Amino acid sequence: MKQSKRRVGLLAFVFVLTFSMLLAGCSSDSSSSKGNGDQTTVTFWHPMTDVTGEAVEEVIKAFEKKNPDIKINAVYTANQGEGQNEKLLTAVSGGNPPDVAYFDRFEIGSWAAQGSLEDLSKLAEESGVTKDTYYPFAWEEASYEGKLYGMPTTTDSRLVYYNKDHFKEVGLDPENPPKDIAGLEEAAEKLTIKKGKKFKRIGFIPWYGQGWLYGWGWAFGGDFYDPETKTATANDPKVVESLEWIADFAKKYNVEDIAGFTDSQGSGAMDPFLSGQLSMKVSGPWEVSAIKKFKPDLNYGVFPMPTPTGENHTTWSGGWSVVMPKGAKNKEAAWEFMKFFSGEEGQKIFSGIARDFSVIDSVNEELGYKNDPILKEFVEILPNSHHRPVMTQGSLYWNELASAVENATRGNGTPKKLLDKVNDKVNKELKK
Amino acid sequence: MDATMKKKVSRYSAHIVLITASIFFMIPFVWMVSTSLKPLTQIFSFPPEWIPKPVEWSNYTNAMSYIPFFTYLKNTLVITFVSTIGVVISCPLVAYSFAKLRWPGRNILFIITIGVMMIPGQVTMIPLFLLFEKLGMVGTPYPLVIPAFFGVPFYIFLLRQFFMGLPDSLREAAKIDGAGEFRIYWQIMLPLAKPAVLAVGLFQFMASWTDFLGPLLYLTDSLQYTLSLGLQQFQSQKGSEWGLMMAVSTMMTVPVIILFFFLQKTFIKGITFSGIK
Amino acid sequence: MKLKANAQVVEQIESPKTPTGKQLKIVPKKKKSKWGQYKHGLLFASPWIIGLLVFYAIPLFSSIYFSFTTYSILQPGEFIGLENYKELMHDPLFWKSVYNTVYFVIYYVPLSIFFGVALAMLLNMKVKGMAVYRTIFFLPTLVPHVALAVLWMWLLNPGFGLVNGFLNSIGIDGPAWLGSETWSKPSLILMSLWGIGQAVVIYLAGLGDIPEDYYDAAEVDGANWFQKTFHITLPLLTPVIFFNLVMGIIGAFQQFTLPYALTQGQGTPANSLTFYVMYLYDNGFKFFKMGYASAMAWILFVIIMGLTAFVFLTSKRWVHYQGK
Repeated sequence: MKQSKRRVGLLAFVFVLTFSMLLAGCSSDSSSSKGNGDQTTVTFWHPMTDVTGEAVEEVIKAFEKKNPDIKINAVYTANQGEGQNEKLLTAVSGGNPPDVAYFDRFEIGSWAAQGSLEDLSKLAEESGVTKDTYYPFAWEEASYEGKLYGMPTTTDSRLVYYNKDHFKEVGLDPENPPKDIAGLEEAAEKLTIKKGKKFKRIGFIPWYGQGWLYGWGWAFGGDFYDPETKTATANDPKVVESLEWIADFAKKYNVEDIAGFTDSQGSGAMDPFLSGQLSMKVSGPWEVSAIKKFKPDLNYGVFPMPTPTGENHTTWSGGWSVVMPKGAKNKEAAWEFMKFFSGEEGQKIFSGIARDFSVIDSVNEELGYKNDPILKEFVEILPNSHHRPVMTQGSLYWNELASAVENATRGNGTPKKLLDKVNDKVNKELKK
Repeated sequence: MDATMKKKVSRYSAHIVLITASIFFMIPFVWMVSTSLKPLTQIFSFPPEWIPKPVEWSNYTNAMSYIPFFTYLKNTLVITFVSTIGVVISCPLVAYSFAKLRWPGRNILFIITIGVMMIPGQVTMIPLFLLFEKLGMVGTPYPLVIPAFFGVPFYIFLLRQFFMGLPDSLREAAKIDGAGEFRIYWQIMLPLAKPAVLAVGLFQFMASWTDFLGPLLYLTDSLQYTLSLGLQQFQSQKGSEWGLMMAVSTMMTVPVIILFFFLQKTFIKGITFSGIK
Repeated sequence: MKLKANAQVVEQIESPKTPTGKQLKIVPKKKKSKWGQYKHGLLFASPWIIGLLVFYAIPLFSSIYFSFTTYSILQPGEFIGLENYKELMHDPLFWKSVYNTVYFVIYYVPLSIFFGVALAMLLNMKVKGMAVYRTIFFLPTLVPHVALAVLWMWLLNPGFGLVNGFLNSIGIDGPAWLGSETWSKPSLILMSLWGIGQAVVIYLAGLGDIPEDYYDAAEVDGANWFQKTFHITLPLLTPVIFFNLVMGIIGAFQQFTLPYALTQGQGTPANSLTFYVMYLYDNGFKFFKMGYASAMAWILFVIIMGLTAFVFLTSKRWVHYQGK
């Protein structure tokens, strides 16, 4: 039959096309990843794009110039958000990881406990890299049980952003933001405009943005982890006190009415602070570039998270690092790169372009962060900053604390009971 | 009211219902396109504005230089095309066997086929990855296309339902005429299942076209990346590039819309067994 | 053109069945050997049999084994028997996720079938511009999930969103939608129904398979729209409804991408959007408890399998295959 012949012909054509495409698709990969001759190629996985991407490119260029025998093969691997590390996870479990990976310091503890990161202590010692160079929290967060597993690269901190125009409007002094919790509450009340059941503007939502319980717990003088006994202390009376304050705040303003704000995405396409619906918000230094980009005329300032006494202000910091996954092939070359990236020279290049804070104080000073009226506040608090506990159950602890706050604000249980539960659950897992 | 009048009324009311419903279903798409044309500052405005002012075409050109758009496009096309072909070849064959042919273990295997879909991919992902690692295919697009040639349970089940609906008498008659099994399948049954096969092809096209996790796990060279990995690059901690992201999203949907527009005709035509129409 | 050709083929084949056919007396062929009988079936199914053995068997069996261990992806872990399963029974968040998921399935699956069939029938009418309408209803399935998540938060924003704005204008005080524990799941169901396009395509293909002759005959008999719908369209659409029911159940139990993107994996507010597979994912990939996650997967398997088996058993009563 003529028809079927034509169809067979078509099928054959499709087959040929298919396989030629596949072949073409595969031939492209073998040519690209090999360096020439005596060069060692270090594969480096990172999730950086845009300016951060440019920054890392410059670091690599400078490094390759200094180390002509090492070539860095940088591969973008999507940043999937906190704890979403499937690509690295599968690669490590498959025994074929990159030599270096850009890695959230928060996860170093749990990965190191799984034996999935190379111990860098010896390499660091031999090269004379010591903790004195870095902010204490950054080095500690990159270490697990006394051993170093990552080289810190960037950091941040959390402060309260406030809208100066709103302050003026309601008769608050825009140059003298609240220092203690009572002052914060008072300001929040004055700034809030409610029409009937609806909010036109909200003064402050303690748990919005970066207002995680970690920040408030520390601000109230509590602590979350005891490294001596390796146990979580979520029900520390001071932490309970901070959650009680948050829960009262939620009750006062009726949480469901303001929940619409709190549930929009953190990356914020519709950030209420930028649109003027929220007068104060806890956030990190990255907010500065977002404001510049999306709302350049916003008249704002920052102040440290208030404490009950109005003194001993603190915050917490996260940030990134470079790590060497277990099974990395070119360890020595990889270490050279890590050392360079995390060292003063690399930090200056990276932080200068990306505008992320360095983990080295002198670099931040040199790059002028301490002269910028806003950034200054963020940098100056760094020496007193906390880091989240380095433990095997960091993500579980984080999630549990987040849902404890959720439940407390919605009146599903008292803060004390909720935090007791968190503590039990996390400690049970820690003992395993 | 006479018959033609009645018909007219029902036709108009049909349009009214369709248009009202269409408005609801247009919202996500219209929003995406409108965001893709907005300047950054307008994306944040409250209350939200639907119409971009001024219209920012540069989002499109910027997006295409922000990521290696055409390289990604080519890669995505190759993977999508090959896996769609794979599915369209393998799945009807298997489905037909389940629906119309008799062999021992057929029913058990059918139950297993449905059963394997009940296990969330999240737990089989790692073992499957290790398997491809052993086969030396990690770092190539093969893991993204080869399984398609061996059948996908969702499509097999779908096509089986359609083949079940075709009368057995067709097969028997053809057999009596001396046609072999493959000829019956190829010349009679497959053409009759064309709408369903095309639907399956469309689904696989969309699945491959937008797949994120597969390319993320299996491709290790950025020159091999696909558009959905490119889309991810517009998101960063410093705030996502919504305008650019939506521009690429819009460009990504256009081929699917065109494909759908042409395929949907085959759904409406239908088929008749008696050969009258 | 092609269609016509097909029709001719069909005609040729159908002809022996007509009363005038002279070839009706056929001498039965010799009984084939068993292999001969089964050869084609197995041959046709062979790609999938191989595929199943290669791409499915190993991962599935590994995950069963993992469910009895403390496997963490990075560490093989140790064999602990039924410990994971026992622990799950005492995990409140596990039960919360079961509740959320069952809630979603109970509402979403019937609604999606009702609206899917209704939409497909609407889109199968013969009016002008249908190609455009059909394309429009398919559009939401093309918008990336990240974008959808943002869009919905925009639409459902309690104070400024379009939905509450609309409700307000007709004198209803809208709820907090995604911010409310009571309304978060209904909101999600609403959003998911927007993506019904794929099911509609399947229904449309199914409707296309219903021979026009039946309607013509019914028309001659003077049947009205209701009679045609309930005696022709729906019965003959049952194989496809059955498919969408089974796949709807499987898919709804594994609901993951949209709520995960919407809540950034947190299941907010107050875990009211923590679905089964979201919790499974967190255990496997965030808490390094892949063994625990695998146990969850197999419990899910048993639940879905039970429901599907029930659907299959009842299907004999309500699914009509034209071929039979």
